[in-house]
Amino acid sequence: MAQELTATEKPNENPILWVTRPMATAARQFAKSLFRPSTIVYPYERLEDPKFRGRLKVASGKPFGVGQVWDNYRGVHALNIATCISCNLCAFSCPDLCIDMVTVPGGDPKHPKKCPQIDYGKCSYCGFCSDACPEGCLTMTTRYELSTTKRSEMIYSPQKLLEVFQHKLPMNPIRLARPANEDAILLEPLLCIGCNACARDCPTQCITMLDIPKPEAKPGEKLPKRIWKEPVVNDSDCVRCGTCISVCPKECLFWGTRR
Amino acid sequence: MSEMWINMGPQHPMTHGLWNLRVKLDGEIVVDVDPEIGYLHRGIEKISEDRHYNEVITLMDRCCYVAGFSWEHLYILAAEEALHLAPPERAEYLRVLCDEFQRIGSHLMWYAAFVQDIGLMSPFLYGMRDRDLVLDLYQSYTGARMTYEYMRVGGVRNDLPPGFSAEARQVLDWLSRRFDEYDQLTLGSDIFRKRCDNLGILKANDCVAHGVTGPMLRSAGVKRDLRKDRPYSAYDRVEFDVAVADGADVTARYLVRLEEMRQAVRILRQVLDWLDKNPGPVMAEELPRWLGAPYAPIGREGYLLKRNFPKGVGFSAVEEPHGEAVAYVVNEGGEHPYRVKFRSPVFSNISAARKYLIGYHVADIPPIMGSVDICIGEVDR
Repeated sequence: MAQELTATEKPNENPILWVTRPMATAARQFAKSLFRPSTIVYPYERLEDPKFRGRLKVASGKPFGVGQVWDNYRGVHALNIATCISCNLCAFSCPDLCIDMVTVPGGDPKHPKKCPQIDYGKCSYCGFCSDACPEGCLTMTTRYELSTTKRSEMIYSPQKLLEVFQHKLPMNPIRLARPANEDAILLEPLLCIGCNACARDCPTQCITMLDIPKPEAKPGEKLPKRIWKEPVVNDSDCVRCGTCISVCPKECLFWGTRR
Repeated sequence: MSEMWINMGPQHPMTHGLWNLRVKLDGEIVVDVDPEIGYLHRGIEKISEDRHYNEVITLMDRCCYVAGFSWEHLYILAAEEALHLAPPERAEYLRVLCDEFQRIGSHLMWYAAFVQDIGLMSPFLYGMRDRDLVLDLYQSYTGARMTYEYMRVGGVRNDLPPGFSAEARQVLDWLSRRFDEYDQLTLGSDIFRKRCDNLGILKANDCVAHGVTGPMLRSAGVKRDLRKDRPYSAYDRVEFDVAVADGADVTARYLVRLEEMRQAVRILRQVLDWLDKNPGPVMAEELPRWLGAPYAPIGREGYLLKRNFPKGVGFSAVEEPHGEAVAYVVNEGGEHPYRVKFRSPVFSNISAARKYLIGYHVADIPPIMGSVDICIGEVDR
C-alpha cells in the first residue's frame, strides 16, 4: 500500500448532521446494551460462576470464553504441605523476595520442615515460584480477592496457604518441563572430608555416602584427616535445589555436566 | 501583554501518566513549552543488573503498562542475542501473536484516552470495552491481564490452550467490525474534523531531527516501520502494509493508528493460521541450567569464573505501538546481565513538544498531546 491515508468522510454542511450522525451510532449501541449489557455486575455476578463457562454467548455479549476466569489465572497460591520437601527453590526464584521459609510442625527436631510463607504485600504474581517447584506442591489458584484492613493479614503462613489448597480451587494446570541438558551436582574429591552434611540436609534423600578405600600412606607423606566416605548423587531423584552446595563446609560440590 | 507560565500537571486530566507540561502563555496562545519528566522513575535499568535474565521480564511488564508485551519482546530479543540462543519457530510466531494483540490493545487504550481528551465520552467506553476482549484473551494463555511474564529467554512459557484459536478469531471478527464504528463516531462528525484538522503539525524533517518515530513519523508521510525495514521474529513471514498518512496533524495520526489496528488484525489471522498448522516446541532445547524452570542457587562465585560462560552483547529494535524502542544488553558472563539500556520512543516524541505545540491555543494542548500517545512508564523507566 503506497497510497497515503486521507480522511474519506466528506465534511458536512448541515450542522444538525454534525451531531445526529455519531448519535445514531451511539443510540444503536445503547439499544444493544439494554438487552446484553457489557458489564458484569460484580460482586452480585462473578466471573467464575459456571454460567460464564462453556456457553456460546455469555451474558456480557462477549464471544465464547472471553470474560471468564481461566484455570491458569495467577492468583493466590495453594500449598500442599504434605508433599513440600523444603527445597527452598520457590524462595530463591522469587524476584520480589516475598517468600520466607518458616518452620512447620511435622519435621524431626534436628531438621525442621520448612515451608514457604508468602507476603502478598510484596508479591507480584509472576508465577516463577510455582514454575520452580519441583514437586508441584506450590501452585497458583484462581482466587483473587485479598483485601484486608490489616497489613499483617497480607502475610500468608503455610497453614493459611494450605487452607487455600483445601478449597480445591482450579489450579494453574501448566507445569514447565525441565530442560533436557540439566546440570548435575559434581564432586571435587580432593576437597571432600566425608562430613555427611550434604546427605543429611538433602530434601529428597538422593545423596548416599559410600565408603572409599583408604589409601596407603607413602613414606614421608601425611594422609588428610577425613572420614573415608564420599557422596554419590542419584541424578534421577535430584531436584537441583542446591542445598548440598550451600551446606558443604569445604565447597567441594559444584554444578556441572556429567560425562 | 504579560506572559505567564502554567503547570499542566502532574495532576491534570491532560497528562496521561505522571508528568508535568509547563506552558508559557501569551493570552490564549502558547509561546513556549517545557515538558518535565521524572516523576515515575523506578530505576529499572539498574535493578535489571541485579536480576536473573528471566526475572528482568517482570520489570519489563511494568516498564510500559499498556504495551507490556512489546517491551518483553524487546528485552528478550536483546538477551537472546547476548546469550547466543535461538528460539524455536513456533515461539517466534507466538511472540508476533502477543505483539500484534498488544498493538490493538494499546491503540484502543490510546483511542479511549484521546477521544476523552477532545470531550467525547461514549467512544471512550467503547474503546475500553473492546480492549477488555484483548486482555481476556491474554489471561487465557498467560494467566494475567496486564503483567504477563509470558516470554522467556529461549522461547515462551507455555503453548496456547486448546480452543484458543477459535476464540481469537471471534474476537478479531468482532474488533474488525468495531473499527468502522469508531470512524463513524469520530470522522463522521464534523465537530471532530474541525477540531483536529491542521492541529499539532509536525513535518517529516522535524520528526527526523528530533528522533520522533512510530505513528507520528508515519503520519508525516515517511514510510518507516521496523517490522518491514529491520524484520525481527516472524515479521518477514507475514504480509501486511505500512500505514502512512500525509497530513502530519492530529487527524492523520488518528488515521494511521486506526489503519495499524486493521493491519494487526490481518497479521493475526495469518499467524493463527500458521499456529494451527504447525505444532511444535515453544522453548529452545539447549538452555543453560540456570535459565530453565528451576532457579537454584548457582553456588559460589568461583564456579562462574571456572566455567567458560559465553560472553556477548545483544542489540534489538522493536516497533512498539508508540514508536521504535531499542534495547542493549551486555553479558559479561554469569547469571545477571552486566548492563541493560533501553531507548524509549515516547521520550523523543514528547521532547519535540516545542515543535508541535507553540503557536496553538491553550485549549488545543489536550488533543495534540493526546494524539502523541504518551506512556510515562517507559519514559521514566
